[in-house]
Amino acid sequence: MRTKQHIAIIGATGSMGSAISKSLCRGNYRLLLCGQDTKKTEKLLAEIRRDYHNADVTIAPCIKEASWEAEIIILAVPCCTEKEIAERIRKVVNQKIIISLTNPVHKDLKSMVTDVNSSATEALQQLLPYAKVIKAFCTTFAADFETPVIDGNRFDAFIAGNDTEALENVSELISCSGFNPVIVGDLSASQTLERMQFLLIQLDLKMIMAEKQAGKSYIINS
Amino acid sequence: MYRVYFENFRQKVALTEEEQELIQAHLMTRKIRKKLYILREKDICKFVVFVEKGLLKSYSTGENGAEHIIQFAPENQFILDIYSFLTGEQATYNIQAVEDSELIIISKSSHETLLKKSHKYETFVRILVTDAYIELQQRLNANISLHPDELYIAFMHKYAHIAQRVPQHMIASYLGLAPETLSRIRRKIAGRNS
Repeated sequence: MRTKQHIAIIGATGSMGSAISKSLCRGNYRLLLCGQDTKKTEKLLAEIRRDYHNADVTIAPCIKEASWEAEIIILAVPCCTEKEIAERIRKVVNQKIIISLTNPVHKDLKSMVTDVNSSATEALQQLLPYAKVIKAFCTTFAADFETPVIDGNRFDAFIAGNDTEALENVSELISCSGFNPVIVGDLSASQTLERMQFLLIQLDLKMIMAEKQAGKSYIINS
Repeated sequence: MYRVYFENFRQKVALTEEEQELIQAHLMTRKIRKKLYILREKDICKFVVFVEKGLLKSYSTGENGAEHIIQFAPENQFILDIYSFLTGEQATYNIQAVEDSELIIISKSSHETLLKKSHKYETFVRILVTDAYIELQQRLNANISLHPDELYIAFMHKYAHIAQRVPQHMIASYLGLAPETLSRIRRKIAGRNS
C-alpha cells in the first residue's frame, strides 16, 4: 500500500507506547505521538528522528485532535484510564480501529480488576460501540520489541476482534513491528488473552522472587 | 463534524433523527493536513470521501510526471476513484488535500451495509450519481467544444469559489492547458477588460 495510514499513539511515552512507536517507524505510517509529559514526548520524537531517518512522525498535543486525524488509534495506557480517554475521543472514532493493549491487573499484581466472563477490551467496545476495537500486544512485553525474533522465529502476537478487515489491517501493522500476528478469534477471546497475560505476569514474578532468593543465599554462602 | 453532510442529505432526501443516527454510526470523520494524501494511485480505493470543510483534488499522473487534475472537491462535495471503488482494481487517481480539511469517509463495507439497511441512503446515492453524471457530461462537452479562452471563462464563472483558493497551475491542469497558455489567456482577458 502506498497511501500512508495515520496512527495516533496515546500513551506514546510509556514503555509499551514508545516500543510500539519505534517499531512502527519502519512502516508506511504517519505517527501522531500523544504523551502526557511534553518533555518525554519531545525526547521520544528526537530519538525516533535520530534512529529512523525516513520516519514520518509528529507530536500531537491533544488526544481528541490526534484521534480525529488518525484512522488507527493505539491505546497504550493503563486500564484505569481507558474509560476517561474513551469519553474524550468518542465523537471522532466511528468506524476507526482502536487497538487496546491493556491488562486489567490490579496494582498489587495479585488479582484482576475485571469480572469473570468479561474483559477490559469488551468494556471498551461497549463505550465506543461504532469503533472497531481490537485486542493486540497484550501478551507482549516492551522488552520483546528489542528482539522480536529468536532463533529465526518471530514472537507470536495474538489479536482478537470482531471486524475482519480491521483484523487484517492490524495483522499487517503487527508484521511491520516485527512480530508474527495470530488472529485468535472475536473480541470475546480477549478474556482469555487478558487472563493469559495475568498468568505470565504471575510466572514472571515467581521467577524474579526465585532469583532474588537464590541471589541472597549465594551471598550468605560466600 | 457531520453537519454539512446531513444538510446535503436532507436537501435531497428527508431524514428522521433515528435514520440519521443509523447512517452516522457508519461514517468515519477525519481531519487531514494540507498536501497529505487520502489515496495514492495503484492502491485500491475502498471508500468515498465527502468534504465537510477544506479542499481536496484528484489527479492522474502523466508519463512525464505531470499532474492532470480530474476534480476539485471543496466543502459539500464527494470525491473518489469510482472505477477502483466499484471494481476493486488499482486506483488511477491520487486524492490529496489542497487545504487542511475535515472529511467524512464512507468505507465500501459501510456503503454496502447502508445500501441494504437504508432505503433513503440508497435514494441519496442514486441522486448523487445522477448529478455527478450530468456534471461529467457538461465538463466533457465544454472540453471538446469550447475554445481555451471560453473554457477558462466558463471555469471562472462556474467555480469562482475554487479559483480563489488554488494556484494558477492547478487551474491550467484542470483545464488541460499548459500553464503558459493559461497565462496568455489571462493577459488577453485582462487587456480586453482594461
